[in-house]
Amino acid sequence: MRETTTESPSPAMRASAFLMLLALLLLLAVPATAQTAVTGRFRLDDHDGHRVTQDSYAGKLRLMTFGYTYCPDICPTSLGTMAGALTLLGDAAAQVVPIFVTVDPQRDTAAHLKDYLDAFGPRFVGLTGTARMVDDAAKAFRVRYVIHPPAAGEPDSYVVDHSAGIYIMDRDGAFLAKLPHLMGADEVAERLRPLLK
Amino acid sequence: MKRRAFLTLAAAAAALPRPLLAGAPGRQGLVPAEPPRPLPAVEFKDAEGRAVPLSTFKGKPVLLNVWASYCAPCVAELPALDRLKARDGGIVVLAVSLDPLGAKQAGGTLRRLDVTHLDLLLDPGFTLTGALALPSLPTTLLIDREGREIGRFIGAAAWDGPEAAPVLDALRQGRTLAGVTAPPVVRLTGPAP
Repeated sequence: MRETTTESPSPAMRASAFLMLLALLLLLAVPATAQTAVTGRFRLDDHDGHRVTQDSYAGKLRLMTFGYTYCPDICPTSLGTMAGALTLLGDAAAQVVPIFVTVDPQRDTAAHLKDYLDAFGPRFVGLTGTARMVDDAAKAFRVRYVIHPPAAGEPDSYVVDHSAGIYIMDRDGAFLAKLPHLMGADEVAERLRPLLK
Repeated sequence: MKRRAFLTLAAAAAALPRPLLAGAPGRQGLVPAEPPRPLPAVEFKDAEGRAVPLSTFKGKPVLLNVWASYCAPCVAELPALDRLKARDGGIVVLAVSLDPLGAKQAGGTLRRLDVTHLDLLLDPGFTLTGALALPSLPTTLLIDREGREIGRFIGAAAWDGPEAAPVLDALRQGRTLAGVTAPPVVRLTGPAP
């Protein structure tokens, strides 16, 4: 067998190598094009334990972000950015629902989310669910996340990587824009302003 | 003392999984700015709501920490910053809170921690995240006498301890952070807050 590898590949091998290359190229190409295909559909439980979907906030604009609240070393700033943007919008902020979707439902229970989101004011909605429900929602927003194995002997101590960013969804729950996570509150407010009545 | 015990040196910092996803706000530790980076004109508010422009401190080296009450590692880091400020080693120590609910929220945290030397500074409008490009908290900017960022530390550090001394010495002496030994990132242990 070893010797055959030094010979020139057979046509069949060449064909399969070509197919593999093609498959690889397709794999690389798909995430880039799929980035725009955010369906924004979800079926989750809110922080009061009510089952909700994208239709539950009909008539309101939504600012949405995905993440997790247990941050033992660094915490993302996106929720604060959303809160800051709504403050800047004043009364018109009532037309916008700020929504945080956890990618860590094991630790981010409804009760925990309610408690945590208190720091951002009464408008914030926290969404969680079963691992499956959360995974479906993340897929619908093209959010990727990885739950790392917990530290030895500490089943509740683990790190979650997730793609960052703030989504603007329209009053029917359809995707309008994804803002980079480094956008300031003032810039987020400017993006929302033209959408307000 | 009890709260300090809550902080452990991330001896396994190197073993921490690196962020896998592009754009994930996962970078940690010292990030030197080479060359030093001029900062935009930013300002925050004092406890009475008066504007405090960052330029107020031009001419002095500044350690600008950005924190929030909902960020557990930020809260755990504050006592070390308070002790650093009490020592008054020729560095202006500022800790600006991004608490969305403002003075009541942030002031409550400082009182609960028995932090007495740090002034209450606020950015409830969250303008600093965009202006200073802060993907995560806590972040501490190290700013030279000309008001330029010589680097930043992402994550919590024991700022009053011996391991932070080389970075603070460089800041005080107007040197760059190239080749300077950074303090380790400290990590919370124990149950989720």
